[in-house]
Amino acid sequence: MKVKVTSEIAGQVWKVVANVGDALAADDVIIILESMKMEIPILAPRAGTLAALHVGAEDMVSEDQTVAELDVS
Amino acid sequence: MGWDKDIDEIKTRRALAKQQGGAEAVARQHEKGRLTIRERIDILLDTDSFNEVGEGAGVPEYDDAGQLTDFQPANFVLGFGEIGGRRVIVGGEDFTLKGGSPNPAGLRKSVYAEQLALKFKVPLIRLHEGGGGSVGGTAQEKKRRPLGEPVFTTSRFVPLAETLGHVPVATAALGPVAGLPAARLVASHFSVMTENAAVLIAGPQVVKRALGHDLTKEELGGPQVHLKSGAIDNLASDEEDALRQIARFLSYLPDNAWARPPRLSCSDPVDRCEDALANIVPKDRRQPFQMRKVITDVVDREGDATSFFEMSRKYGPSLITGLARLNGHSVGVIGNDCMYYAGAMTAAAAQKLRRFVDFCNSFHLPVLSFVDEPGFMIGPDSEAAGTIRHGTAAISAVLQSRVPWASVQVQKAFGVAAQAHFGPDSYVLSWPSAASGALPVEGGVAVAFAREIAAAPDPAARQKELEEMLAASQSPFPRAEGLSVHEIIDPRETRPKLAAWLELAQAAQTDPPAPFMATMRP
Repeated sequence: MKVKVTSEIAGQVWKVVANVGDALAADDVIIILESMKMEIPILAPRAGTLAALHVGAEDMVSEDQTVAELDVS
Repeated sequence: MGWDKDIDEIKTRRALAKQQGGAEAVARQHEKGRLTIRERIDILLDTDSFNEVGEGAGVPEYDDAGQLTDFQPANFVLGFGEIGGRRVIVGGEDFTLKGGSPNPAGLRKSVYAEQLALKFKVPLIRLHEGGGGSVGGTAQEKKRRPLGEPVFTTSRFVPLAETLGHVPVATAALGPVAGLPAARLVASHFSVMTENAAVLIAGPQVVKRALGHDLTKEELGGPQVHLKSGAIDNLASDEEDALRQIARFLSYLPDNAWARPPRLSCSDPVDRCEDALANIVPKDRRQPFQMRKVITDVVDREGDATSFFEMSRKYGPSLITGLARLNGHSVGVIGNDCMYYAGAMTAAAAQKLRRFVDFCNSFHLPVLSFVDEPGFMIGPDSEAAGTIRHGTAAISAVLQSRVPWASVQVQKAFGVAAQAHFGPDSYVLSWPSAASGALPVEGGVAVAFAREIAAAPDPAARQKELEEMLAASQSPFPRAEGLSVHEIIDPRETRPKLAAWLELAQAAQTDPPAPFMATMRP
C-alpha cells in the first residue's frame, strides 16, 4: 500500500535526504525544506520503503503538496 | 380505584421512550459503527448519575378505545449527571428518530439545554448527530399553516451566545451534523469530532443543486476539512475517545465563570529541572526545535502522561494552544511552533490565539506563554488573508487580559506580533537563546543597510559582518541588566521559576471571580 507524504507548509526544497528504495523508519527525514529562513524537515509518517520522490532540490513546494510516496505494504 | 392505571401508564411511556427509534433503527445505528445517544451519555457520565429532564416529552398514539399503543419520544435526550463527581448538563440528538432532525418536543428540549446550564451554572455538554429543520417543517406544522413563534419569544440564540461567557461548553460531532445542530456544535469552548463525522452547513444534495459541486458529506465537512478550518478543535479516534477528551477538557475548568478552576494534588516535583532543556534550542537559528517538548518538560506530569492537553492543533499550526497544570493549578498554554513558518503569526493563528485568550479570561486560567515569534507571516497570501487585522485583534485580546501571565522567551520575539505573547503585566523569563528586536536580523539587515552593503568591496562579507554585529545586540543579557525581563535563567530552571511565580500570582487573585467582558477589537 502506498502512503502519500505531503508538506504541511510552503517553501523551497533545500536538500533531498532520502533516496527512492530506501527503507525508512517513522520520522526519518525525507526532504528538508527552507521556509521562512529555517530548515524544516519533512518526515516519513510511518515506516516503509520510499517509493517515489516528486520534488528535487530548489523546487518550490506549496502547502498540502504531495512530495513523496511511501510503500508501507 | 386510585391512580394505579395512570402510574402504570407513566411506566409504559418511560419504557417506550427508551426504545428510541425502535430496535431496527438502533441496529442500523450500530451497523454504522455508531452508538445511540443514550449509550453515549451512559459512557460519559459516572454510573447511575443521569437524571433525565423531560423524559415524558413526545407524541403518544392511541387506539380507538383510547388505549396508549405507542409513544414517539422527543429526539433530543437531556439531563443532569456527574463526571468524576462534578455536576454537568448533557444533551444530544437521537439519530435513530428522524435522523436527529428535530421533532417538536426534541426542539424544545434542545433549546432548554442552554437555559438549564445558565440557570444552574453548570458545564454544558452537547453530543451532536443530526440534521437541521426540514423545508416541510415539523410533522405538526404540516397539518396547519405555521404561525411561527410569538414576537415576545426570546430567540434560542440568546442563551446559546450567553452560555459561552457563563459556563464551560464542550461538544462532539459523532456522525453527520448539519444546520442548527452544527451551529450549536461550534458554539462551544471545545469541540471534537470522530473520523466518520461530518459537519455541514448544508448537505451534498443542496450543494450540488446550488453550486454544481458533486461532493460527499466527508469531502464537504469531514475532519480533514474542519480541523484545518478551525470549526472543530480536535479529532477523536472513536466515540469513547471523544467522550474521554470532553471529560479531560472539563477537568481543567471551573463549573462556571463565578468560580476559579479546581486545584488538583500534584505528585510531580515542583523543582524538577530537565537537563534536556539546556540545549534544546540549537545555536544555529536555521535549525528548528520541538516547542511541544519544551512545554511537556515544564508542566506537570500525571503518572506516565503529561498534563498538557492540546487543542486545535491543525488550525493555525504555527501557534500551539492547550491546557495544562503547573503544581496542580490549571493553566492555559501558548507557544510558537517554529516547524510552521518559523512560528510566524498567520491569520488563522491570530484568530486561534484571540479565541483561546478570551477563553482563558472567561474561566480565570493563568496563561503560560512560550515565545518564539518571528513576526506576522509575510507574503501575498498573508496580506490577502487580512493577517494584520486578525493579528492586531489578537494583540488587543492579549493586552485586555485580566488573568496572570508569564512569558518564557525561548527564542525569537520580533516585530509587532511579539506583543501577542506578553500580557499586560507579564512575568518575563528569558532563556539565553532569546533574541528580541524590531525584526529578525536575517531579514532586516539587507533592507536597512542596502546602500552600505552595495557599496562595500565585498557586499556578502559586509552583510554577514553587519548581521553578526546586530545579532549580538539582540542578546538577552543587556535586557536582564536593565530589568527589561524579570530574570535570565538556565532553561532547566523554567519549571521551578514558573511554579513559584504562579503561587504568588494565584494568591494575589483576591477579587471574586466574575464573567469576563471585553470591548470591540480591531
